[in-house]
Amino acid sequence: MKYGRFRIATQTVVFLLMFAIPLLNVYELYFITGTYYALNVGGLGVADPVVILQAMFASGQLTLPLLSAAVFPIFVALIMGRVWCGWLCPYLFISDRVESLRQFIRRKVFKVDHPVANREVQNSFRANFIRFSFLITGTAFGGMLGIPVLNYISAPGILSTEAMIFVKERSFSIEILFVLGIVGLQLTLLPRFWCRMFCPTGTLLSLIRSPQTLRVDSLSKHPTTPCCKEISCSDVCPMGLQPYRESRDLLCANCGQCIDACKHDRLRFYSMGSA
Amino acid sequence: MAPVHFLALLKNWLISSERPIDKNFAANRLRPPGAVEEAKFMALCIRCNRCLEVCPYGSIKREGFGIAIGTPYVYPEKKACYLCMACCRLCPTGALDNQLKVPEKVQMGKAKIDTKTCYSHLFLEHDVLPESRGGSIGALCNTCYYVCPLQDSAIMLKDNLFPVILDGCVGCGICVERCPTSPNRAISIIPTGMGRPDEAGFYFRKARRSYENSSSLQKTDDSKSLSGEKLLEQKFKIQNSDKAPKFEFPYEPPKNRGDWD
Repeated sequence: MKYGRFRIATQTVVFLLMFAIPLLNVYELYFITGTYYALNVGGLGVADPVVILQAMFASGQLTLPLLSAAVFPIFVALIMGRVWCGWLCPYLFISDRVESLRQFIRRKVFKVDHPVANREVQNSFRANFIRFSFLITGTAFGGMLGIPVLNYISAPGILSTEAMIFVKERSFSIEILFVLGIVGLQLTLLPRFWCRMFCPTGTLLSLIRSPQTLRVDSLSKHPTTPCCKEISCSDVCPMGLQPYRESRDLLCANCGQCIDACKHDRLRFYSMGSA
Repeated sequence: MAPVHFLALLKNWLISSERPIDKNFAANRLRPPGAVEEAKFMALCIRCNRCLEVCPYGSIKREGFGIAIGTPYVYPEKKACYLCMACCRLCPTGALDNQLKVPEKVQMGKAKIDTKTCYSHLFLEHDVLPESRGGSIGALCNTCYYVCPLQDSAIMLKDNLFPVILDGCVGCGICVERCPTSPNRAISIIPTGMGRPDEAGFYFRKARRSYENSSSLQKTDDSKSLSGEKLLEQKFKIQNSDKAPKFEFPYEPPKNRGDWD
């Protein structure tokens, strides 16, 4: 079973919803309100866990609305892992397109055949270390200042806010420069670095897991060495992992691209109930 | 040096030093209704802009620059808050009080009438408006009174002639939006928190200093130090009608109005 098509479908829906929500609100339909920092769907509050964590640290209290908004994302993350990043996040959607553009330029302009997408950054320990330090530092800094500073650099939140401003006022705010900046960096110097190494939302979501959480399972007999010559799973992984052995890594976003890419069907999703 | 003095010095230093959020305070720049006090608001507001999306009047604007970027503001000179209370209900973090449903309990700020530019006050003083403010027009305007949604509890016409702000003012700013004076409105809203020394910003402290230096302070102090016959006389002057204004803003704005904006 190929997951790619479904993944692009959900990503597109979420991306379009970013514009649809403010549009509905312009026509005074308030069933869904908010941006991807925090949404309200028919009375159910859902907020980015990082946002809640920061509001907790910055204000020194845990209000009831905050707590209730955290329930749904934690529940989803416990069952399906970091599925927000892999399947829904509008920034990864853009990041994927940027990456295919980068590969296209490499092939057509620089005549490089092999995708070597992530070879130069393939060290999950370093990436994990950087992103956890970043999250802890950011939260502590926000707590000291009394301002949720990580909100200023939350890519999906900014994208969603810009979409809202665009729909409402046909303009953008200066935060769009931040997104353009990281897109530019991903296109040139640091391929796919933001989601791997910095994004605070993804970092916190990857911590919310149990042994039964959905994950990629490798059926390889010798999980420490590559089980085929192509190693196509490592080439497609947006997080720069080597799925044949690092499928349980905290970085994995359950996007399923490695499962699609494996020519020998040695990777599959594993979750509660599967054999 | 006694420890009390040291604490007082420390407090003075804290009050006089600029915190980042002090810059958030300015006249006619308000947080949406139900907002908790400014420092806590900056901590709790997650910039999700949900309040901005539900506002049916488009009153709430998103801050585009600085440390408060992404947080909601109401600029009553452009569009006032019409107290529909839709935003409070939806705030996901409690930065706007979710329990607040009654417009009368909103505390966005307090209106302050500038008697030197208000048409009604000028008319009472000069019979016609001075040359600089429209020449030979003679009028009691009182627009602020007639547009106020909380008429007679937030604003009243003293002696049926000129507007006076009362305790019930919630700071929605409709009077500011409709005030016909230009370029600076004769009525402006001082946001809640700006008037308190512990939370107030630069403009408040500046205003407070000029207030303490002004002669108006001595006048109020004189009335306290009266005694005997003079005190009785002073007390008889106080009107005991229930219509007397209870609220008067505790300081004068600085002379240079440009600093307020």
